[in-house]
Amino acid sequence: MTEEKDSDERKSFKLLGILDVGRIPCAREAVLHGAGGALVAGLGHFLLTSRVKRSFDVGMAGYIVTTLGSWVYCRYNNAKLRIQQRVIQDALQNKVLYEGTNRDPSKKLNGSSSGAPD
Amino acid sequence: MATPLQLGFQDAASPGMEELVHFHDHALMVVYLISSFVLYIIVTLVMTKLTNKHAHDSQEIEIIWTILPAIILIVVALPSLRILYLMDEINNPHLTVKAFGHQWYWSYEYTDYDDLAFDSYMTPTQDLIPGQFRLLEVDHRMVIPTESPIRVLITAEDVLHSWAVPALGIKMDAVPGRLNQTTFMTSRPGIYYGQCSEICGANHSFMPIAVEAVPLTHFEDWSTSMQQTV
Repeated sequence: MTEEKDSDERKSFKLLGILDVGRIPCAREAVLHGAGGALVAGLGHFLLTSRVKRSFDVGMAGYIVTTLGSWVYCRYNNAKLRIQQRVIQDALQNKVLYEGTNRDPSKKLNGSSSGAPD
Repeated sequence: MATPLQLGFQDAASPGMEELVHFHDHALMVVYLISSFVLYIIVTLVMTKLTNKHAHDSQEIEIIWTILPAIILIVVALPSLRILYLMDEINNPHLTVKAFGHQWYWSYEYTDYDDLAFDSYMTPTQDLIPGQFRLLEVDHRMVIPTESPIRVLITAEDVLHSWAVPALGIKMDAVPGRLNQTTFMTSRPGIYYGQCSEICGANHSFMPIAVEAVPLTHFEDWSTSMQQTV
């Protein structure tokens, strides 16, 4: 019981005072991916060119691009999942409503043509 | 309902509000990235030792700061337009309720039923029982069935009012002589509070809205008992 309650109450942690990475789905993963991307891009650029300031600029660009890319990808999958959940929920409700009647989808799949309406 | 010092949205109780919350999260992420970028530029500008008093133009940066904002606008506008048209979809309501704004109370009519109409006044603070919410409780709540599309027709009898329930993502002006329509569906049972959202006189802050979503069987029992009472 306690463990379930802890997992439901995510801690609020706001970056720049606005973005709550604790509570917004995909935000934490996007920011972490962005940090990793920034590190890779900035460090990689520095190792190749030994230019410090430009490497910071490249790191910042890497941060923005990686965060945005990870965010869009995760939110797109999240949205697809939510739509699937709604379709399944509707199908379950319709199954209960129309079971045994002419509108029963499982009857149509089995090729049954007759059925007494409710 | 809102809790003290709350900054964010209330928990969504309708699919429309869920979509609004998701869009808000997306827009907030874009705002956060732009803010991070601006903060980085400010820090770089302050700390740099480079100066160039003779720069006249730079085609490259002009192209970047024209194309990039256009891309940002598209990234924000496409989901925004999607949800805008989603909110306007007509979804075959199961029930129609009429909400009338008065100075200073709301009245509701369920014209699908015979003779079901009532006024909804705020419960005065001195009459509240422990556990009730100050300035939000009413004597008669607007009761609706859950998981059913509901149409609300909103108008006013005297001055401008506005019928708003944040948890359902609804706000619609009540204009005298005009009928405004909105539709919604509650995903779960509960009581959802709102307040008049258009200045309408001395007691504008004291005419709340309370929507109670109950399972269909409970709603039918309630409508039967209300018709017998009225």
